Amino acid sequence: MTLWLTGVAVGVLCTLGFALLRVWHGPGRADRMMAAQLSGTAGVAALVLLAPMQDWAALDVALLLALFGALAAVGFVKATSSDGGGDPEEVDIGADTPDPTDRNADD
Amino acid sequence: MTLLLDAVLCVLLLGTALAAVLGRGVFRAIVFFIVYGLLLSVGWVRLEAVNVALAEAAIGAGLTGILLLTTYGKLTRVSAEAEPDDAGVNLPVALVSVAVAGALAWAWSVLPEPTRPRAELAEALPRAGVENPVTAVLLSFRAWDTLLESVVLLAALIGLWLLGRDEDWQQRLGVPQHARPGGIMTSFGRVLPPVGFLVGVYLVFIGADEPGGAFQGGTVLAAVGLVAALAGLIQPPRIGQWQWHAGLVLGPLVFLLAGVAGALSDSGFLGYPEAIAGTAILVIEAALAASIAVTLAFLVIGPPEKGHRE
Repeated sequence: MTLWLTGVAVGVLCTLGFALLRVWHGPGRADRMMAAQLSGTAGVAALVLLAPMQDWAALDVALLLALFGALAAVGFVKATSSDGGGDPEEVDIGADTPDPTDRNADD
Repeated sequence: MTLLLDAVLCVLLLGTALAAVLGRGVFRAIVFFIVYGLLLSVGWVRLEAVNVALAEAAIGAGLTGILLLTTYGKLTRVSAEAEPDDAGVNLPVALVSVAVAGALAWAWSVLPEPTRPRAELAEALPRAGVENPVTAVLLSFRAWDTLLESVVLLAALIGLWLLGRDEDWQQRLGVPQHARPGGIMTSFGRVLPPVGFLVGVYLVFIGADEPGGAFQGGTVLAAVGLVAALAGLIQPPRIGQWQWHAGLVLGPLVFLLAGVAGALSDSGFLGYPEAIAGTAILVIEAALAASIAVTLAFLVIGPPEKGHRE
């Protein structure tokens, strides 16, 4: 069972590597951030798989990574809004202000 | 198979570290830094250092990540180019970095081989009142270090507040936050904090016997406040509000009082009588967690800025 769980964890970490390629290439900021979120999901999955081997203590780490992944998403949306404290949903559709999280907005 | 797992983890860690340092573009470096913290916490779990993994997940990947993202946003707003456009290598900076890295590598190589303090720890741990050896070291055996560290955070916050403009001093902390009422951000700000609050309190409470503790729990509680503030659901306070001053100093104060109480009894400064050691550590941890939460949240929100609606 341990061998099986470890093997799956290796597979999950390999998929995380592919998410890193998207972080590298972008091209938009949202692409990079969403790829980081994806790697966060993979990290949580790997920790859950490793947890039974180490007295389940890794589950708490997985829980924290999930919570802080959500915080990072909020932080990203706020940081890329026009005044640093906005919300893309406030922008009227068709307004002149470009959506700061537009996937084509390259950094 | 575990060897393969560790090898893959090491490759990913080195890859993200190199990508963060060598890749062009500030934003890309920040995202790689966040992923690096995430992988590092998996690495600490593999090394069976779950306490460190929790701290890395909360501080390294979590709060530092959002701090860097906020800074990036501010840079792009202040000046048009947050991205340096010169293609060349900044030679002095590169040399200093190489020198620092070399010095660190040298210091690491001359460190004595670490020995696990099995016998001494096994003998002393039952008298500490807690079962988590890390908590026992932090709050009992080496409590003096932890007391000073809790004051360092406060000094950092005062340093940050000094960066605020004079005319904004009476304003609320941070840039004004707003979101569409009933939108995704607002609902997020209502759903996430209760869950996070539960996790934070759990981490502080469990820290006595299992991995966890004041720092990890306090960071989660800080994140809870931050999400609610970013979603515009709560207004950040002003510098002059005494309730928040009390929150900032509560942890170090309780810690210090406990130390003095120990000195007045026969346990010595920062020593606790064996009978109440467990309770004393839990009380200190709870107070420290509250202060760490307030301090870290204020550090991320930043100094007071104008433009807040009343």
